[in-house]
Amino acid sequence: MKILSIDTSCDETAAAVTEDTNILSNIVWSQASAHTKYGGIMPSLAKRMHEERIDWVIHKAVKNAELTIDHLDAIAVTVGPGLSIALGVGVDAARSLAINYDKKLIAVNHLEGHVLSPLANSKAPASDINFPSLGLVVSGGNTLLVKINKIGSYEIVAQTTDDALGEALDKAARMLGLGYPGGAILEKFARGGNLEAYRLPIPIVGQEERKIFTYSGLKTSFSRLVESEKPLTKEKIINLASCFQDVAFTHLIRITSFVILDSKFHFQSLLVGGGVSANLELRKRLRKLGKYTGINVLFPYSKKLTGDNAAMIGVAAYFKALRGEFIDVDKIDRKPSAKISD
Amino acid sequence: MRIIKNSDRAVDAAVRALKSGGLVIYPTETLYGIGVDATNPKAIKKLTKYKNRPFGKPYSIVVTDQKMAEEYVELNSVAKNVYREFLPGPLTVISKGKHKLAKGVESENGTLGIRIPDYKLVIETVRKLGKPITATSANASYKKRPYAIADILNNISNKQKMLIDLIIDAGDLPHNEPSTVIDTTLDDLVTLRQGEIILADKNDVLSRSEENTENLAKEIWQKYEIHSGKRAIIFALQGEMGTGKTIFTKGLARAMGITELVTSPTFTLENEYSTGREKLFHFDAWRFEKSEELRFLGFKDLIKDKSVVSIEWAEKVSDTIHEFDDEAVIIWVRIEFGKVDSERRITWGITQ
Repeated sequence: MKILSIDTSCDETAAAVTEDTNILSNIVWSQASAHTKYGGIMPSLAKRMHEERIDWVIHKAVKNAELTIDHLDAIAVTVGPGLSIALGVGVDAARSLAINYDKKLIAVNHLEGHVLSPLANSKAPASDINFPSLGLVVSGGNTLLVKINKIGSYEIVAQTTDDALGEALDKAARMLGLGYPGGAILEKFARGGNLEAYRLPIPIVGQEERKIFTYSGLKTSFSRLVESEKPLTKEKIINLASCFQDVAFTHLIRITSFVILDSKFHFQSLLVGGGVSANLELRKRLRKLGKYTGINVLFPYSKKLTGDNAAMIGVAAYFKALRGEFIDVDKIDRKPSAKISD
Repeated sequence: MRIIKNSDRAVDAAVRALKSGGLVIYPTETLYGIGVDATNPKAIKKLTKYKNRPFGKPYSIVVTDQKMAEEYVELNSVAKNVYREFLPGPLTVISKGKHKLAKGVESENGTLGIRIPDYKLVIETVRKLGKPITATSANASYKKRPYAIADILNNISNKQKMLIDLIIDAGDLPHNEPSTVIDTTLDDLVTLRQGEIILADKNDVLSRSEENTENLAKEIWQKYEIHSGKRAIIFALQGEMGTGKTIFTKGLARAMGITELVTSPTFTLENEYSTGREKLFHFDAWRFEKSEELRFLGFKDLIKDKSVVSIEWAEKVSDTIHEFDDEAVIIWVRIEFGKVDSERRITWGITQ
């Protein structure tokens, strides 16, 4: 089944063509560079840039797949969660394509896309995964563990009560003067730092049974630590970055490990998605956790699938199409605060 | 549960109920309070169950005068000055406790709040009982301020109602602020809750924990809730990273009756929560480059719709917020780090 998917949930204008769970094309046009020029984000600019780029991105996705829109079986689009005015651009584009080309329309939750992103271009078929499995989304906007009863049915097991992991890493980078968003830069600096140099508190250590993620306390401790260490030298920055990243990941691993070991279900697989899942140190630690708990850990096959993209939306849409979950062109609407468990 | 009118006979009825370990709801010059014999451990447990709050959160007590206060707390010179100047009146004064009360009344570090209300019925009751009673508002945690008996009964479960022994109904109380709470155990006098009595030249409160900060947000909301539905209410939050702006908004949401999880809107710029009746819009201007960006996210419509809005990093969009000075009630809240890691100094003021 060939599907054209669109995602404009935040800073990326993305379109992709997938056939079942295989990617035929995956175009992501990021606004990050445009925004960093201004040092922040400008919603007005974000909307305008989505509008300016959406047709080109869709055209390019279809062209790279060596198809025309007529060949497609359905159009899919992210309806939420995300920035309302940005989501609207994608939803409008998908709606008019569905009308103009008389295609079926599929509304997709962005987080489901992240959870299922390890299935894209996967050598092992999805039918090899046993359910319930566990999904972990780690990104700038979300930090979330979900029980996957089966594809399409999710229950939130743990989520952040304040900042997302990616956001915490971005903010730490900013405190160290590494720019924003700087999580990826922080990762580079964190390599080879001395983890014994500073002691930061692991969030809710010993209370893992609360099953929450929380980064606000760590952020506060870090901001005070950075203040007290000023002026910062390169060595200090490297050590601070390492210690922060280490503790932030330790918290994530401790909660995830608790959930795996505590559950009466024998989760066989852990599907990991979201921008922070590109972090190699995190991957290493999650694999180690997998070995320790006897769970199979799956990541997206390429870095491009970790950040926001439309190919993962196509994968989620494919399973929805198999279940016959299409939506009327008159009924589709953006849902900025959509939950994966809805 | 028995409801009686406030008369001379009410004192005897209250004393009888308190002596047998009962919960009594009584009027004061601020809100309706709920009292139990503060020396009776069973009664304190019952009260904690009624208030629906975790054990370990302390209770202030009502005494008749300074002499009686000194049986339960050590008064330093600062405290004595405050007593002379302001009591009886709507003020709770925290001093070092003498550990003579039931467990759970004093705080974990042994401090105790003393209140001498300017309200005859309560003073007479305590005098006749010969023991202090608890001074806490008669609502359950995070529920409506109790100015009338209906405010209490409409917001509690049947189970909670069963725990009440006696209600002394004095009708609708004037809508006064809850008592100001000050701590005299530190080097400088600090306010922990701001009521009618203002000791500094502005609203200036010390928060000792995230829970305190949430609680303060609740207090401020309850003060301005009266404008809800008539004008937009904007909480313009300022403070460095990690001071607790999201925590403040969590407390605000909880006080409004929102049960959804409130998280940082930094990434999505805007979150929206609903109680079914009211909506809370939660913005984060940290990533904004220009003040007008707020306008672009539909801020003007939110003001027109008389919404409740919380904006983190309000200093970045203050120009745009100030454009609505006439239309909205704007509460400017500043949160700063305190001397100790867990402490925050919170100041606020309004333009309306």
